[in-house]
This record gives sequence, C-alpha cells and structure tokens, in this order.
Amino acid sequence: MDPNASGKSFAPYEFRVERGKIKEFAGAIGDPNPLYRDPEAARRAGLPGIPAPPTLLRTFLYETPDAKDALAVQDWSYIVHGEQEFEYLAPIYAGDVLTAQDRIVSVTEKESRRAGKLQIGVIETTFTNQRGEIVQIARRTLVETGKRISE
Amino acid sequence: MTRPSYDRIAVGDAPAPLVCGPLTRTDFVRYAGASHDFNPNHHDEVYAKANGNRTVFGMGMLAGGYCARLLTDWFGIGALTRLRLRFVSRFWPGDVLTCTARVTGKRIEAGRRLVDCEFSAVNQAGEVIIRGDATAAL
Repeated sequence: MDPNASGKSFAPYEFRVERGKIKEFAGAIGDPNPLYRDPEAARRAGLPGIPAPPTLLRTFLYETPDAKDALAVQDWSYIVHGEQEFEYLAPIYAGDVLTAQDRIVSVTEKESRRAGKLQIGVIETTFTNQRGEIVQIARRTLVETGKRISE
Repeated sequence: MTRPSYDRIAVGDAPAPLVCGPLTRTDFVRYAGASHDFNPNHHDEVYAKANGNRTVFGMGMLAGGYCARLLTDWFGIGALTRLRLRFVSRFWPGDVLTCTARVTGKRIEAGRRLVDCEFSAVNQAGEVIIRGDATAAL
C-alpha cells in the first residue's frame, strides 16, 4: 500500500437505493422480514417506505475502484478485509438517491509475529441523500499482510 | 416483534440466538449477486483452490449480514446508531453459524436512550468467525 494515499479523497458517485435490491439483499442474508418487501407492511409499521438493511450500503462500495486503486496494493491475494464499521445518522428508504464520497483516512504499518509486516488502510465513505442529509458513514479496514492468506 | 424497552433492558440481556446454515455454495453465490462482491475466492472453486484454499469460502459481509439481522430482529429496524464488524476467521460450505449478542451497557446521551451490545458469529466447532459491537437507540 502507498502510505502517501492517506488523506486523499475521490470523485463522488451517485446511486439509487432500489426496492428490488433491498428485497434481493434481504433474501441473500436469509431475512424474511416483510418490511423489506411489502410497502403496506412498512406503512403499517409507521415507516415512510421500505427501509434499507444495516449492511446494505457495503454493496455500493464496489461502484468505483478509485480509492482501492489509490492504495496501490501490489497483490490482492495478500489483502484481508479486517473490519467494517457503519454509523447510522438518518434512515434510508427505497427510492432515496445517495451520493457517496470516498476518502482514505489513514495508511499505517504494524509488525505482526504471525503475518509479518502489516499495512492497514482505512477507507471512509460518507453517504448523503437527495435532501443533503448525511445518512451513513462507512469505514472499511483493509490489511495487507506480509504473507499470502491461506489456511 | 416488540422492541425491548430502555427501562427494562439490562446488562447481560440476550436475544434468542440466530442459527444460519448449513451454508451452501449457492448461499455464497446468491450473496455475491445481491452484494456485487465478485471476488472469485467466494464462488470459483478452481480459482480458490489455485490460491491455496481447500474450497470457496464465504464473504465476511455475509456473516456480518446475519449478525445485523440478529440485531434488527432484536431492537427493530432503524434502531441501530452504529455497527462494527471484525472479521476473525473464514467460514466454509457446510458450516453452521450461530449469532449471539448481549447488552454491555446503557446510557443517556444528548437525550437519546442508547444501549450498547457485543455480538459474535461462531461456527459449529465454536470458532469465532465475526466479533462485533453495536449501539441501538431505544
């Protein structure tokens, strides 16, 4: 990883949170909750629309490779997704149009007896909705190990 | 589903565990499609083996999705204010993951009634796959 990538931010990208994607995602995590599928059920529960599951937005971080590219990883088979964090600032519903902005928060190094020299990169994504409200902040921690990840 | 009330919830309280599996390659492929995670280690047996793995393995975010589901079943959709997932080890086709959680603290901050909890997903051998913590506003 390139330590100089720390602090870089990237072009924002926009996407719509689609109802079909929420249903598909809920199905993929085995969640039968009708609120993710039925607008009537959501309304009865007092919600203005079909809500996004807590980990849905990780899905949209594949939209642009810019931040990952800037980390300048030499071999992705040496990379582990160490940690993923979400801050929930406002609810997200189907039909919302979100703008995501990626920033590399830090690139640090650490010595590990088991895995050799570790480089730890943190990418933060801020999601803003169509009303300009920040709805969610996601942070993913990628760890580059000195050795190939295998059993 | 009734949400737990802030006044009644206590440190140590736990929801019923959520058991997922035995997991199949189809579960991984379905999550790949839903999440756009097309890392071939998760769906391409030939690639995964050539990379030194015994077979394909599941996405950390799939197990993370199961943990999040345990929390939304418990606190209700929309209650979470933060969620952190630490990916500890990998999981494989045939594994059964059990997600559990417990309350670690409660506090009132800026008028919000917050409950902190920790959670984990472990496999059938008791190995931790995911460890995490979260906060819900009740």
